[in-house]
Amino acid sequence: MSENTNPQTQTEPQTGTATTDTDQPLTTTTGETDEQAQDEWTEYEFAGEAKMTVENLDVHYGDDHALKGVSMEIPEKSVTALIGPSGCGKSTYLRCLNRMNDRIKSANVDGSVHLDGEEIYQDGVNLVELRKRVGMVFQSPNPFPKSIRENIAYGPKKHGDLDTGLLARLLNRSDAEERDRLVERCLRDAALWDEVSDRLDDNALGLSGGQQQRLCIARCLSVDPEIILMDEPASALDPIATAKIEDLIDDLSEEYTVVIVTHNMQQAARISDQTAVFLTGGELVEYGETDQVFENPRSKRVEDYITGKFG
Amino acid sequence: MPRERYQDSLDELRSDVLAMGDRVVERLDDGLDAIERRDESLARDIVDGDAEINETYLRLEDRCVDLFALQQPVAGDLRFVTASFKIITDLERVGDLAVNLANYSRAATRTVAPDAEIEALGEAARALLERSLAAYEARDADECRAIAEADDEVDAMCQHASETVTRDLIAQNDDDSWAAERLLDDVSRVLLTIRDLERVADHAVNIAARTLYMVENDPELLY
Repeated sequence: MSENTNPQTQTEPQTGTATTDTDQPLTTTTGETDEQAQDEWTEYEFAGEAKMTVENLDVHYGDDHALKGVSMEIPEKSVTALIGPSGCGKSTYLRCLNRMNDRIKSANVDGSVHLDGEEIYQDGVNLVELRKRVGMVFQSPNPFPKSIRENIAYGPKKHGDLDTGLLARLLNRSDAEERDRLVERCLRDAALWDEVSDRLDDNALGLSGGQQQRLCIARCLSVDPEIILMDEPASALDPIATAKIEDLIDDLSEEYTVVIVTHNMQQAARISDQTAVFLTGGELVEYGETDQVFENPRSKRVEDYITGKFG
Repeated sequence: MPRERYQDSLDELRSDVLAMGDRVVERLDDGLDAIERRDESLARDIVDGDAEINETYLRLEDRCVDLFALQQPVAGDLRFVTASFKIITDLERVGDLAVNLANYSRAATRTVAPDAEIEALGEAARALLERSLAAYEARDADECRAIAEADDEVDAMCQHASETVTRDLIAQNDDDSWAAERLLDDVSRVLLTIRDLERVADHAVNIAARTLYMVENDPELLY
């Protein structure tokens, strides 16, 4: 296949002024760095629009260079999987996509991230609005200790998308019908409705782990996001709950852009359209269609990693 | 290296496929021998021995299925297991063709059959089979392509041999109906032998094609 023979030219070793040898404890010799740079295959051409475009993203946590000059485009309405060993920077990268790293004092982010062509790392960006558009689901389900119904309605209420009717405002109470429609829609979209429709006022903490995670996804959907970031959303779940989440991700990708970090390579292979492989040292080493990455990776290091010969 | 048991399973599969290949080449040698020498007892051994090849085939097929299900190989490993899974089918078929040769040798009277240079043809097909197994072992993509090209020569030899036999048949103008029938039987068997040897070479090309896919992800020779 001709695409396998195109060497990449864009990925040169990062030699920014802020980067010193001590900043890169995981990089060994200069020669090896050159060799590694020749083994990077990150140019991925896809049909359709890029929802997000990331350019030369560098993240430092203090002296630790966690992410090195990552550039990639994320196609809209598809599933992008981020895989790699622990400490490779994939979660750091995910958190950059809705500026969650801003919450970490020692984190220093350089580079640019465009959402629909607009820079999210510029002054004046409304972070609440950004995180409404770019929602996140975490590894452990974290529902509010409230009823199932309130978990879903909480976000829209906070954002002022509920209780906007005149009657509701005058009487200072919810437009119950509108709220319940929203609750049902989100729970249906998260494939949870059939399991909880008769107990919407029960405490969400009484649900099983898998149901709680789907509730968190429903809660994420309630504010009408465009992108859903997922950080190992099924790693704490049993195989059946995992299968439900995976089916759900597949369904969601028809309407939303999903970016998922997973340690489970088979999961990435099953559910994603494209896969980005990060390797230790915070480098993006290969990015391409998922079947190509898992059947015929272009990078030798990626081949070694996914076949278990790494390390 | 991590996943040692898995790596050991892959290595074991490779050596077992090669061992099956060696066994099949031996069977093919025996089949050609049986034809050449009209050795009834050797022919019987070949027919009886096919069960062993079939058992090996099923055992290795099972091993591949286990690897798919339990280890979920990816990338080069996936292509290796997939290629091996297909290659054992080709080897099993060559085993069947060796049985065919044995059966032809038992039935042949060879009283009036023309010289179709079966020995040279058999040697050419066998050589391709051996080369394909060596290419699989050495992961030699260039040799895979060379094998596909060399198959054209075997095809040409088969074509020539078939024409020789057919011409010979037409040239015979014997009024003796009994002799004519014997000739027809022999000619049919020789034509079937030629066809089967051609198929041995085709299976060798299949093995080369799967090996090329395995080594370079190149499906060029698959169809």
